[in-house]
Amino acid sequence: MFSSVTISLFEGFLGTLKLFSLTLLFSLPLGLVISFGSMNKNIILRGPIRFIIWIVRGTPLMLQLLIIFYGPGIFLGMNVWGSGDSGRFTAALVAFVINYACYFSEIFRGGIQSIPKGQYEAAAVLGLSKSQTFFKIVLLQVIKRIVPPISNEVITLVKDTSLARVIAFYEIIWEGERFIKSAGIIWPLFYTGVFYLIFSGLLTLLFGYIEKKLSFFK
Amino acid sequence: MAILEVNNIKKKFDNTEILKGISFSMEKGQTLSILGSSGSGKTTLLRCLNFLERPDCGTISVNGNLLFDAMQAPYSEAEIREKRVHFGMVFQQFNLFPQYTALENVALAPKLMNKGKTSDTEIDSMCKELLSKMGLSDRMNNYPHQLSGGQQQRVAIARALALKPDILCFDEPTSALDPELTGEVLKVIKELASQHTTMIIVTHEIGFARDVSDEIIFMDEGIIADKGTPAQVIDNPVNERTKQFLSNYSGHS
Repeated sequence: MFSSVTISLFEGFLGTLKLFSLTLLFSLPLGLVISFGSMNKNIILRGPIRFIIWIVRGTPLMLQLLIIFYGPGIFLGMNVWGSGDSGRFTAALVAFVINYACYFSEIFRGGIQSIPKGQYEAAAVLGLSKSQTFFKIVLLQVIKRIVPPISNEVITLVKDTSLARVIAFYEIIWEGERFIKSAGIIWPLFYTGVFYLIFSGLLTLLFGYIEKKLSFFK
Repeated sequence: MAILEVNNIKKKFDNTEILKGISFSMEKGQTLSILGSSGSGKTTLLRCLNFLERPDCGTISVNGNLLFDAMQAPYSEAEIREKRVHFGMVFQQFNLFPQYTALENVALAPKLMNKGKTSDTEIDSMCKELLSKMGLSDRMNNYPHQLSGGQQQRVAIARALALKPDILCFDEPTSALDPELTGEVLKVIKELASQHTTMIIVTHEIGFARDVSDEIIFMDEGIIADKGTPAQVIDNPVNERTKQFLSNYSGHS
């Protein structure tokens, strides 16, 4: 019984992992783009982006999932997500990517703005271009500063994936809950916690390693 | 011919006029020190020369070529980058790049600017030589946080020299240093002066300015209030403001 539960929970966890990894893949670069927008001198660009960040950070992710999944059908009368499981997955991924990109963008903005002006000026008087200054001077210093807050968000994301159940996205909690109805047992649901713990433990080790790698400078 | 000619530079921040028409020139191989109390505009003047601030008015010429003219349309980023290399800049706060070793800090810009003309090993050996001149031959592979303030500032001087600027500018190079570390930096600057490096030094070290400079400019409230050799300006001041300034500093230098 235990091993068959473990195997089915593992299947559910693959759904969790898929949503987790694709969310990171898209939201990290999108977050960087959004952070540049939110720092832009032009209010016409900065204003709307700050507004969207406010909406996304100011409402529950669960609500955003529901609106993104059902919204197009209700308000536009069209099914943009396609049918079945892949449609649910796409909608969940879009909601997660937007949500996490906004959080990441604020972390990036904080990191970029924390770099002392003197670094930019030193690069400027040495004749470095803007892109050379960003990639050769600023970027690694920003990465060093944002690793701890990013690791926080990433570990939160592992657990937030369970919210996608509200639009019937198949993941590990869903799988655990299934045993209540099918076998009348609740412990598989509790057992899912071990999967989360092990995975976030591995991530903690990974981020600890990155932090250590970047400790050669201050 | 003057290596540097500055004509009627004016600069306003918001509504405060920091520079009210600065004109001076200097000869190649000379050391010029700029003295003055805080807020007199000496740092702003240096920042204008390095294109870190854009003057509202005036011109800057190097080697007889007009480098900056406030009447012209704003220069593009690429143009400014090209003009900038005539000047080197050493900052009060060193501003070394923390993720690079001393050698990498010095070699970074020459390597980026060099378009395949010189090999990286040649650039490295040129930079190593510069660091040795600064007395840092055993510190080349250290990161900035492993160096003392005086050592960091000497790396910063080597970094500025590596681009072979026509004029090397120092913005209060010892003001962020512990008193016991200022000597090593001043010694390096003195050596550069004896080798006829063209330098402009904004400083509060009056005794040092007297020893090292060919000419002194005394700035007060955005204008050049006094100008001359160290003997004229520091030892036998005539100007009332200069006298007052020097008496406030006596005992400090």
